[in-house]
Amino acid sequence: MSAVDTTPQSPEKTRMSIRSVINNAGIGIALLLMILFFSVASEHFLSANNITNILTQITINLVLAVGMTFVILIGGIDLSVGSVMAFAAVVAGKAITLPGLGATELIILAVLAGVLAGMVCGILNGVVSAYWSLPSFIITLGMLNIARGAALQISGAQTIYSFPFAFEEFGSMLIYGVPVVFLVALALVVIAWFVLNRTVFGRLIYGIGNNEEAVRLAGHPVFWYKVAAFSICGLTAGIAAIIYMARLNISSPIAGIGFELNAIAAVIIGGTSLSGGRGSVIGTLLGAFIIGVLANGLILIGLSDFVRQMITGLVIVIAVILDHYRAKYSAS
Amino acid sequence: MKLMKFAAAAATSILLSTSIAAADDKPVVGLIMKSLANEFFQNMLAGAEAHAEKRGDYELRAVGMQNETDFESQINAVENFITQGVDAIVVAPADSKAMVRPLKRAMEAGIVVINFDVALDEGAKEQQGVELAFVGPDNRGGAKLAGDALGTALGEGAKVVIIEGNPGADNATQRRLGFEDAVAEHKLNLLDSRTAHWETEEANQVFATMLTANPDIQGVMAANDSMAIGVVKALESAGRSDIKVVGFDAIPAVLPMIEDGRLLASVDQFGQEMAANSIDLALDVLAGGPQLEGWVKTPIELVAGK
Repeated sequence: MSAVDTTPQSPEKTRMSIRSVINNAGIGIALLLMILFFSVASEHFLSANNITNILTQITINLVLAVGMTFVILIGGIDLSVGSVMAFAAVVAGKAITLPGLGATELIILAVLAGVLAGMVCGILNGVVSAYWSLPSFIITLGMLNIARGAALQISGAQTIYSFPFAFEEFGSMLIYGVPVVFLVALALVVIAWFVLNRTVFGRLIYGIGNNEEAVRLAGHPVFWYKVAAFSICGLTAGIAAIIYMARLNISSPIAGIGFELNAIAAVIIGGTSLSGGRGSVIGTLLGAFIIGVLANGLILIGLSDFVRQMITGLVIVIAVILDHYRAKYSAS
Repeated sequence: MKLMKFAAAAATSILLSTSIAAADDKPVVGLIMKSLANEFFQNMLAGAEAHAEKRGDYELRAVGMQNETDFESQINAVENFITQGVDAIVVAPADSKAMVRPLKRAMEAGIVVINFDVALDEGAKEQQGVELAFVGPDNRGGAKLAGDALGTALGEGAKVVIIEGNPGADNATQRRLGFEDAVAEHKLNLLDSRTAHWETEEANQVFATMLTANPDIQGVMAANDSMAIGVVKALESAGRSDIKVVGFDAIPAVLPMIEDGRLLASVDQFGQEMAANSIDLALDVLAGGPQLEGWVKTPIELVAGK
């Protein structure tokens, strides 16, 4: 493994991590200001119940955004995650309502089927876009339709319901007010952080985003790294599907329409560059929090739906402008 | 364009092959629906196919679309039906304005046109000089039925919220107005009204937050059952069994919830029969019956527990 190590030299490495701390601190400060504002503006914002709500509400987006971070870091994009989530949910929904099996078998079967279904879509996205060097924007746009169509076809466009009780229980279980499903998402963030920062694979993901040709010339199989990034994104869409089902006790073929945009927004607000090579999954975590806190807080202070939508859009634009300056700043 | 026509033709031929071989003298009815991704239209298609088989005295050609707003392929479908020389077109328009002109051409070609599910725009009809009856449910009336059930259960002054469908969609607007009619009649106290875009997860999030802002909510009116499911789950998470919820559509997934009281009521528009009923009306006109006029209201029914 050490033979293919391409980690930067140590002084630069230190500088990079300081920079990334500053970057993340900026997002963290923005989040803190937001929290401060909403806790003054609404008496309910900091209540224990509302904090539980916010954690529940950001879970699915956070899970999708973790996978999305990998794809954006290699300079790609995955527009299919919302549809892939629906497809995985329908596959898992079909599995969990199979007759003649015990609850435990059904749950295990459904989780495996859902996660696998998501991953297969991700592998296809990766293989097709990497093998023919096609823009992932278009390939995943295709997958957006393929997966949605498959979800509708398999389910006959019907909502699937009545899941085993233990499964429902998992979806609403709390540990000291923290939803278990959020802990699952947090575990994914930690794993992703470890993979991206402490493994050669992770460093090469950054490397491909920065200079794909250099990584290729260094003798690394860029193709497989790209496929892996998209597979991870499909995998997280599968996990999101399971969480969706456990939380709402249904699986719907029209679930997740537009979820890809929120996931991308979380990654970008979190400071990951759309052109790849720069960013972090911790930023993604903060980005998901910013979107979740904003959605929650703006309702609490009683803003209308339309104003709320405008403000969310504005935050995304501001994040990208900030990213522009950050890129300029770190280049000089 | 060519591709779309081909797709429509292919869809038609697939459906044709499933229906019984038609005799030459049987009238041909072209059915144009909205998104078959929608459970409601999927059921409607199944209902129409069963109806065609049962009556056996007409030939059904059905086309659906990929999404709710894809009116261009609806226009193509109308043109194809005109070319094929069908006897009647039964259509659920994806756009209440854009569909008027192609349907006018169909009427000029001597085809009996029945507009169901969503009414064509009155202004656009007037502008084009088209007179066409509408066969469909009263979304506003249906929403009022659900709202009435909630109002009766809660009593005057009760605090309620509305979860709306897609802003701008005609049925979403009508249902919101129906809920507001019920609010006015039962003198309810409407605290908030927000969209969750017909979606379960979003309704779950939006409502959980609304409940935090207004813990004294007593009742919820959701503009469809998918969103009502999200609301019910939010109430379960919050441990609130005192809040009453009504939905709309009566999809199979909510029937157990109505049974055990988690959902107070929903509204059935008999989507399965709606297309079939419209086809019956078209065949009546074809058989020499009088032209339809105004608004032929189709049945709606409140579905409530014991």
